[in-house]
Amino acid sequence: MLKRLLTASLALVGMFGLLGPAHAADPVKIGFSIPKTGLFAPAGPSQLNAYLVWQKMVNDKGGLDIGGKGRRKIEFVQYDDKSDPARAVKIYEKLITSDKVDLVMAPWGTPHHFAIAPVVERHKFPLIGNTAASVALRKVKPGYLWFTTPMMPDNLAKEMTAMLKSRSVKSVAIMYNLLPFASENIQFLMPALAKAGIKVLFEAKYPPDIKDMTGMLTKVKAKNPDAVLVYSYPGDSILYMNQAREVGINAKTQYVMVGPAIGFFRGMFKGNLDGIVTMAAWTPGMKNTTGSQEFYNAYKKMFKGHEPDYLDSVEVFVSSQILEQAIAKVGLDREKIRQAVNTMTFDTVYGKIKFDGVQNSITPAGFAQIQKGKIEVVWPKQRATSSVVDKGAWAK
Amino acid sequence: MDILLSPQLLAAALITGVLYALISLGLNLIYGTMRLLNVAHGDLVMIGAYVAFMAFSLFNVGPLISMFAAAIICGGLGWLAYRSVLQNLLANSEILARLEENSLLLFFGISVVVQNLVTLFFTADRQGYEYLSAIVEIADVRLTGARLAVLVVGSVISIVAVLYLRFSLFGLAMNALIQNRDASAVVGINVDRVQMYSLVIGFGITGLAGALISVLEPITPVMGFPYTMSAFVVIILGGLGNLWGGFLAGLLLGFLEIFGVAVTGPEWRSVLVYGIFIGILIFRPQGLLGHGRIAR
Repeated sequence: MLKRLLTASLALVGMFGLLGPAHAADPVKIGFSIPKTGLFAPAGPSQLNAYLVWQKMVNDKGGLDIGGKGRRKIEFVQYDDKSDPARAVKIYEKLITSDKVDLVMAPWGTPHHFAIAPVVERHKFPLIGNTAASVALRKVKPGYLWFTTPMMPDNLAKEMTAMLKSRSVKSVAIMYNLLPFASENIQFLMPALAKAGIKVLFEAKYPPDIKDMTGMLTKVKAKNPDAVLVYSYPGDSILYMNQAREVGINAKTQYVMVGPAIGFFRGMFKGNLDGIVTMAAWTPGMKNTTGSQEFYNAYKKMFKGHEPDYLDSVEVFVSSQILEQAIAKVGLDREKIRQAVNTMTFDTVYGKIKFDGVQNSITPAGFAQIQKGKIEVVWPKQRATSSVVDKGAWAK
Repeated sequence: MDILLSPQLLAAALITGVLYALISLGLNLIYGTMRLLNVAHGDLVMIGAYVAFMAFSLFNVGPLISMFAAAIICGGLGWLAYRSVLQNLLANSEILARLEENSLLLFFGISVVVQNLVTLFFTADRQGYEYLSAIVEIADVRLTGARLAVLVVGSVISIVAVLYLRFSLFGLAMNALIQNRDASAVVGINVDRVQMYSLVIGFGITGLAGALISVLEPITPVMGFPYTMSAFVVIILGGLGNLWGGFLAGLLLGFLEIFGVAVTGPEWRSVLVYGIFIGILIFRPQGLLGHGRIAR
């Protein structure tokens, strides 16, 4: 009798155990594509890792707050787009029509955002973009796509010129990678410098597969400019960091666009990075931001002490926070989410964000500088955690 | 034009050239002896770089030591590839006749698999580490210790390898195989063994080069492809299967890239490199040091 009772009660517990929570915790399915292979694969983890950190942080709290009506955990549906925008288009079609995801999140990079814009528009799926930056994005029809990045090339050019002027820079040498984002920056930088009366003593563009910069840097050294601006990506940033030291580039202001904000890069150059200015608008201890330190700690915990990429990972997390807050306000109705994103002001690790059309209208483009091994936001002044300092002699 | 007399530029050209020479050496050996178009060649560079990175991050062992581990591991992969697949293919005369074309597909497949396996284990995240970063000054030339090490070690290894393969008995056997496979079997050369060693040495040297490169650029699963491309350019410049020609062509390409770019501008790099490449293909298809006829 006792045995039968025990079996029956166990079965009952089992039933509730299985049915009860499964119903309440039906996860919210969110889909995205990610470049796990192909040309952009090395950049993929900075995005995927930030998504995973956000998922864990939210799920640890019990899940997404669905318009104040309870919490549901996040489940990701992700596919490798092989760094191919055309494949991303097919993936988002599949996510929406076949996998029946509740929401979608952004793919990596500007070309992929352009490619999938018509898909999310057609299916009326709101998507908060990240890791995409180009003035051409402003031409995207306002509707279901928004861009969180503050790093628009025209704004960057304006802020760069203002920063150089504040440092009494009279002359610069410019080197830039021929990839689209770097080239677009130069297109806006040149007229801005001319207007500010800053002389360009040397200008050179180079292909993405460049293997050595000694020739260019020898010429830069001969010109002795006040500032050296390198619009580079991680591979060529490494060339600059090694060969600028060899050639003896000692300008007090040295800007290396992409690289110094990424953990592996800082591991490669350590003390030699002190004084280098780079493109980033965030640091963990920043005031007037929401969740900065929590994000930083959660990231380091999840990825064995590795730091997030201060540029891409942070922006990805910002887009996640925006989605989270919109859902908390209006639930999972996609049309209501769209209206919420258009009208709400969000609290993010970048600080307050509001959209004007497709664009983040609050966060300014900005720069960070490595100071004593730490990344400090140094420009614009209203966001700065430290002031720009002269780059001293190379550490070794 | 003062810049052309700069010793700093000369050092940069030597570093680039020696790396090209070292990386193309393995490809040349394998193509020469077996007519295998190894388009996964750059992936061996990548494996070597990961070995060096792991050795440094786990055991704090620098690439000047771990490069030997990289060579052994990549050489071992060569042995495995030979024993498991290539030996049978090379022994079958019908397959052998079509092997050159087919090997392109085979190695392309291997390349995809290797890149994905490495991504699986390490993620595609960029990796890097600090090693010999202090500047060393010799006369008027200033180099980071790591780049100086690449120059010295790369030169020594490629010169020793080229000399060994030119003058040793094994090297002579290998050269015989490069010149004429059937005839070398007739005169008593153990073709099977020479082929296997070529693959092991070819893979090993490339892995070693990868360990050296790990201090110069971000380590990623997709870092190898540009090296496959430049290795093919070098061995076609130098003459397919011509090891000494390949060594000189590697240096030439390095000088062309550094001095050519210094004179014209970096945006001309590809035009210069591939211009010379196409020029050689048109006017001297047997390569700079190749003989009039290419034995197939």
